[in-house]
Amino acid sequence: MSEVEDTAFEPLLTDEEAKKVLHGPLPPGDHYLFGSDACMEGAIFAGCRYYAGYPITPASEIMEKAAQRMPQVGGRFIQMEDEISSACSLIGASWAGVKAMTATSGPGFSLMMEAVSFGVMSETPFLIVNVQRPGPGQGYITSSQEDVMQARWGHHGGGSIIALAPSSVQEMFDFTIQAYNYAEEWRVPVILLADETVAHMREKLTVPPWDKVKVVNRIKPQTLGIVPEKFLPYEPYEGKVPPMPAWGDGYRVNVVGLVHHPDGNVTKYSPEMHMNCVSRIYRKIEDHADEIAQVEGFFLEGCKNLVVAYGTTSRSAFEAVQELRDKGRTDVGFLRLKTLWPFPDGKIRSMVKGVQNIFFPEMNLGYMIHPLRESLRDRAEQFISIPYLGALHSPDLIIDKIREVIG
Amino acid sequence: MKRYEIRIAGFGGQGVVTVGKIVGAAAALYDKKNAVQTQSYGPESRGGACKSEVVLSDGEIHYPKVRTADVLVALSQPALDIYLKDLKAGGLLIIDPLTVIKEVPRTDVKVVKVPTAEIAMKVGNRRFQNMVALGSLASLTGVISPEAFKKAIQEAVPPKTLKQNLEAFEKGMDYVRS
Amino acid sequence: MKHPMLEYLKESGAYGDRFPTIFCPGCGVGQALNYALNAVDRIVKKDGVPRDNFCFISGIGCSARVTSQYLGFDAIWSMHGRAPAVATGALLARPELRAIVVTGDGDAAAIGGNHFIHVCRRNLDMTILCMNNNLYGMTGGQSSPTTLRGVPSTTSPYGNVENTFDLCEMAVTAGANYVARWTTAHPQQCIQALEKGIRKKGLSFIEIMVQCPTHWKEEPAKMMKKFKSQGVRFSPEKKGETLKKDQFWVGEFMDRDRPEWLETYQKIIDRFKE
Repeated sequence: MSEVEDTAFEPLLTDEEAKKVLHGPLPPGDHYLFGSDACMEGAIFAGCRYYAGYPITPASEIMEKAAQRMPQVGGRFIQMEDEISSACSLIGASWAGVKAMTATSGPGFSLMMEAVSFGVMSETPFLIVNVQRPGPGQGYITSSQEDVMQARWGHHGGGSIIALAPSSVQEMFDFTIQAYNYAEEWRVPVILLADETVAHMREKLTVPPWDKVKVVNRIKPQTLGIVPEKFLPYEPYEGKVPPMPAWGDGYRVNVVGLVHHPDGNVTKYSPEMHMNCVSRIYRKIEDHADEIAQVEGFFLEGCKNLVVAYGTTSRSAFEAVQELRDKGRTDVGFLRLKTLWPFPDGKIRSMVKGVQNIFFPEMNLGYMIHPLRESLRDRAEQFISIPYLGALHSPDLIIDKIREVIG
Repeated sequence: MKRYEIRIAGFGGQGVVTVGKIVGAAAALYDKKNAVQTQSYGPESRGGACKSEVVLSDGEIHYPKVRTADVLVALSQPALDIYLKDLKAGGLLIIDPLTVIKEVPRTDVKVVKVPTAEIAMKVGNRRFQNMVALGSLASLTGVISPEAFKKAIQEAVPPKTLKQNLEAFEKGMDYVRS
Repeated sequence: MKHPMLEYLKESGAYGDRFPTIFCPGCGVGQALNYALNAVDRIVKKDGVPRDNFCFISGIGCSARVTSQYLGFDAIWSMHGRAPAVATGALLARPELRAIVVTGDGDAAAIGGNHFIHVCRRNLDMTILCMNNNLYGMTGGQSSPTTLRGVPSTTSPYGNVENTFDLCEMAVTAGANYVARWTTAHPQQCIQALEKGIRKKGLSFIEIMVQCPTHWKEEPAKMMKKFKSQGVRFSPEKKGETLKKDQFWVGEFMDRDRPEWLETYQKIIDRFKE
């Protein structure tokens, strides 16, 4: 290999251009943004200062926005050699104390599963945005909701994650902030299940006054007055989650992916330790499903025919519900899942006391209908999936299917 | 306004997506309406029917795409062939007679022929034809103020072509007024 | 007398039961760890770098076990082959951290090959300590990308049909600033190379040949003695010389000052600072 003189690097930027940029999050007020951009701006607002990613359609725009914005806000961006290293690097960044993120689609999401699994066991907060596209395999490059189960079950082993499904540009911003808040509060990887439609849509984004937006940061042991000698890295604080120091803070934490005792010991194995360790990280999320999950209901009073939806499909579904109601079917109601995981059995049962039919349009062959059916097994006579692949359901598609059943 | 649906379609490179972006921005930022803009990546876009859609409303917009369009701007024959069926009865159809040469097979829509490519050439480059189409759209529909459009154009195009883009827009407006 | 490096290990309290370590009797990993701790100790004392700025990042394998609760440093026992990626995230988040990636021949050259190549290409400011025992030890003795041709292993029972990587050559070609190889039989050189590597800006790759008496079924002292004759001192003039079959070059293969990733990126951040 010949030794070539490396030329000096100078940023391609004039001083005027450098002054004109936004040095922080978006200012309060109305903006008109691409969904992908709104997602990145939400992350910046929440304090994300590390982005690592790999190009993949339809998520590359989020990465490109990160490349542009990270240095502007004092963060760092890197395009890694693949999705595996992108996701693994989030673990290092998070342990170094920084909110970290990547965005990808199906094929990349599959590659990230080992890192998600490690994140679950080590209780490392980070964000993965999956701009879903159809699969399996290379599938296609349009819209989909086919990875909703993979988000929950794709990582090997037990434990649990939190996932949200945005349906608008505003929610690409709001839900990203919410995702980080969940990650920091519950010390868990969080997945934002977007889709190609919402990522590539342009819509108004209203940023509230900054002091009105809640941003959560992980609790550190030093804030609680716990000294390094007394710190047990995997002992929950007040029964919730262990405090999380950053590397360099002096706590000398040895992060592990093996089953472990609260003090971090991995060599003294026992079935009891194993059960305690894994069930604690599982129950950390699942026992708080009703508290974590966000579900909204419309027209549930007197509802006989319930339409359930999540993500961008909610917009088609709500349009369909409104049209049916406008035409006299006032027994049609709507339930929207804003978070998909953990699945809140209790909350949903408290909202849906008894209906005849439940219609569930999904941009997949019927996935979330399974936990829904389990949850409301004794509360509805029929569960009808309305699948559609590759694009948003048109309201007519949903209306026609409903009419087929209810007339 | 409950829902006003606009679809712009043509060959890739005719600036169809830019027009959609500008309509959305003009409505959302400068005219205080709600606007959702989407574009297609699907197979039709490869064959000359690349489309951009905008749904406008004074209220909340649920379904973000066109159900039946109030306006269709077709800058290519394939665009017309594929999307004419989604134009509502009584809707507005704007076509460029240079590329849309076949007889329009519907009698229940209002057809306006605007030689966008020809007018754009007068401004300096065929590339400005999308702005001509936008001007005609603005004038014929009246759903968004010209001032809002002009502000949105300013944000969307590079400074060195701003003058020509605005000129093309004005010419498009003028053409349909005459 | 207490071994001086014990200061850097977690000896007492909850971790006290982890000694003696899990490493096999005569394993070279413990020695390599000792050399690394000596190097860190020198940097802490000579350069005044705070001890808590160091973090050890490992993947999977015998080499990776050094981080499993032995180290009195921030550390992570991460995923197979992915330690350079984890280190990348940590450094970009907190550049003052001194990341020491601890890896093995399988971890770095097989599953971690891609990440290894790219951190070298990027010339990120970290030190990679590769403990090469020429096989996969933890999982039972399978052949690795550095197992010599013809040699039997559990996955090459009839002899290894494959060729090997020279990890140092790969690091040099990919762009690392500092590349060296020694063996457990060269303690002073190992410590010096590690000290130099940690101190030096850019990617430092230090390969230490370590004995695995368990799988190679040889006495550790004999193996170390063999290292002394197998290891031929490298110098640039000798490049191109052919070595005997089980010999390998030892010494420094590269020492240059190509620009490092973080300092290059910093120019962009600085431009935006108000």
